[in-house]
Amino acid sequence: MSMLTDSNQIIISTHNLNKKFGGIVAAKDVNLSVNTGEFRCLIGPNGAGKSTLFSLLCGIERADSGEIRILNKEVTKLKPFQRIKLGLGLKFQTNRAFQSLSIKDNLSISNNKIQVMDNEIAEERYQLALSEFKLKSEGAKLARELPHNMLQWLEITMILASFPKIVLLDEPTAGMSVEETLFTGSVLKRLNATGLTIIVVEHDMQFVKDVANKITVFHEGEIFYEGTAEEVSNSEEVKNIYLGRD
Amino acid sequence: MKHLLNLIDGDKDIGRGNKFWAGFFLVLICFFLYPTFVSSFRASNTAFYLLNIPMGFGLCLIWGYCGILSFGHVAYYGLAGYAYGIIAGNLLGNSWGPILGVLGGLVVCTIISGIFGYFVFYSRIQKWIIPILTLVFTLLLETFFVQTSGYQWRVGRVLLGGFNGMTNIPFFQIGTFEFEGYSFYYYCLVIVLVLFFGLRILVNSKFGQIVIGIREDELRTEMLGYDIRFLQCVTFIISANLAGISGLLYVQWGNYITPSQMGILQAALPVIWCAVGGRNSFIAVIFATIVLNWLSFTLSSQGNQYALVIIGTLLVITMVFFPRGIVVMIFEKMQKIR
Amino acid sequence: MDIGPLIISLIYQLFANAAFLFLAALGLIIILGMMNIINLAHGEFMMMGAYVATITYHAGVPFVISVILSFIVVAIIGGIFELLIIRRFYGEELGALVVTWGISLVLGQGTLLLFGPFMPSIKIPGGSYKFGVFSYSEYWLILIGVCILLIVLLWWVYSFTNYGLQAKATMQNSDMAKCLGVSTKKIYTITFSIGAGLAGLGGALLSPTMTIAPFMGQQFVAPAFITVVVGGATNVIYGAVGSSLILSAVKTNIGMAFGAFFGTVALLLTALIVIRIMPNGISATFQRYIDKKSLSTK
Repeated sequence: MSMLTDSNQIIISTHNLNKKFGGIVAAKDVNLSVNTGEFRCLIGPNGAGKSTLFSLLCGIERADSGEIRILNKEVTKLKPFQRIKLGLGLKFQTNRAFQSLSIKDNLSISNNKIQVMDNEIAEERYQLALSEFKLKSEGAKLARELPHNMLQWLEITMILASFPKIVLLDEPTAGMSVEETLFTGSVLKRLNATGLTIIVVEHDMQFVKDVANKITVFHEGEIFYEGTAEEVSNSEEVKNIYLGRD
Repeated sequence: MKHLLNLIDGDKDIGRGNKFWAGFFLVLICFFLYPTFVSSFRASNTAFYLLNIPMGFGLCLIWGYCGILSFGHVAYYGLAGYAYGIIAGNLLGNSWGPILGVLGGLVVCTIISGIFGYFVFYSRIQKWIIPILTLVFTLLLETFFVQTSGYQWRVGRVLLGGFNGMTNIPFFQIGTFEFEGYSFYYYCLVIVLVLFFGLRILVNSKFGQIVIGIREDELRTEMLGYDIRFLQCVTFIISANLAGISGLLYVQWGNYITPSQMGILQAALPVIWCAVGGRNSFIAVIFATIVLNWLSFTLSSQGNQYALVIIGTLLVITMVFFPRGIVVMIFEKMQKIR
Repeated sequence: MDIGPLIISLIYQLFANAAFLFLAALGLIIILGMMNIINLAHGEFMMMGAYVATITYHAGVPFVISVILSFIVVAIIGGIFELLIIRRFYGEELGALVVTWGISLVLGQGTLLLFGPFMPSIKIPGGSYKFGVFSYSEYWLILIGVCILLIVLLWWVYSFTNYGLQAKATMQNSDMAKCLGVSTKKIYTITFSIGAGLAGLGGALLSPTMTIAPFMGQQFVAPAFITVVVGGATNVIYGAVGSSLILSAVKTNIGMAFGAFFGTVALLLTALIVIRIMPNGISATFQRYIDKKSLSTK
């Protein structure tokens, strides 16, 4: 559990966010609010709107209505790169490291140091990821020569290179073995302990229970339930939405 | 300084390390000594091959490094040439004329490519539309200039000349020294060298890396916090100016320009040089431009009408069997063997 | 001046220009819609259609048969190109552009070398009418009719034939179509052939109105490509028809007021503006509108 959770400081929030794709409701009156230093997990059945939420937060998709605030700034009208520059980092659901480029180049491009304050802590986080994920020594290798788990770690490290304050990770442990998932969780917890706000979309409940301060459950575009890992595990209603009972 | 040298020796273009540069300078010395063995006319002909290299560089930068294909790059070749012709032609007798003409040409390229780039990159259109729009643009320019015959089509004293083009375009001069023949050859050689090193520094720099990132994955690069539309626009403007430099050198070489320089056959040429040599390597482009220009010159001067058919076929064969370019793929093969 | 005849003349010119754009762009749009590539040899395919038409016509074949032959011959040539070269570039749009440009160079120059600079022209069928102070060419009226026929034919093919069904499936989701047993390779070859054939058809139909020469295809390049860019490839029929009409409206009006060159400039400007607002072309916006409508009636 993070000791730096500052419950007075909401770092990213949405207010009555709505988004439809044709006939599909991806987000319905979503009011999400994450505090600084939190480790939040978003879970829910497939198609519940979790990845869409990330797209909306980053500005890749425009919301139909509602407000998004990052670091107490209203960003609903801002372009994606402008939101990133405020201190956001996004890891995509399908791995998007630069496959044809070397690891060194991947990290070098990502080096878009956004923050001026808290530089040292951010640099520490980056170095931590570099050494834990064993990327330092592999500089010249092309990204596509890496095994899948290292690709995921590479992308995580890439977004840390721009010194974000919040990172959004979309299924970071997808395709990883049990040990690799556990390891990723431990590194992310250490990063979170330095004050980095982390929001993760995940399906692996073991991982989620291991890392999260708080869990938000999505269902059909709406926030269905919020609580700690224990509360969520014990909730009958949450079980029902996964098993399809109405 | 050391930092610059490191950038020049960077890995974003083929060829680095001591052996490579030794070979490079050997070839360079040959180029420098070449005019002493041939006539002024011959040197001038070879200068023609050299003067087209900057346009190849321009396309290499925007296509090979940034991933955006421009079919109508010759538009800037033509615009710069005509602009120089107008400015320098009106300032005949004034030793500053040519220099102002050069500046004017580059300014025109920057403005037009900037406007075009704004419409194209800030619209987030699909990639395949850009080559078509640039092609249409250059064809329209050609059509426009073709119908400018007659005395009413002039700027100051200079006639645009319609289908037959603009003539009597002055040589480039600094002070009272005019660049023609041998001196023109060295002038081209130096410009190509300066641009080559400059571009190697550019693509190995942070800017270059981001541009390459844009080519590889636009969304990922944008989500690292970069304004990709702006960067694409800037790269496009730089590459347009490179094409413009070739256009300037062309009119300073032949003292004339015709609208067909912006037509569809000419437009194909830089694409062919980049495709055949290798679009993400400046070295490959230098090689391909010289060889292919020499080839078509030799073929057409021997009365061979098959020049364009041969070059077109070469393009198709290269695209099918050497998709990354012949020079680049040979180099890759050599790397593997080591 | 009587406003009646003026309006009728305007309508005639609008549809005649639209017919020109439609015939020039149709083959291109069909290929784009299926394989997401632009065939830069399109102008040369149209030229080949015109050449087949004039060669057969002057050998005594009736014009209508010549036109049909043009479709068949150019379709076959297109199919051969697809099998040998084009199919290697699916998924690589820029590569396809470059290689088809190479093909266009070879075809254009090759035709010049084989057949010389000019071919005998075809006399324009039909006469002309006069209405008020304006004259109307019977042939252009026929061409407008042919366009309508083609639209109906295309709609029928897409809606009622096996090929049409498989083609639509492949366009929407080629992987899924493959899983369902559709030979997407065959569909691509057939589609490219049809697109090439339609280019040839367009070239043959328009050949009586122009000089038949090796580089005649190039005058279609700008208009055809602009039509395709504005129309988009989301829905072939809507894109082709909508784009032709809109661009024709622009070209007819500006062209009448300022001359043909400015008409073409206006086309380019229209294209730039359209893509700023609708980056995927008219057909995409139209398709989205239709989808929204059909969903909201639930």
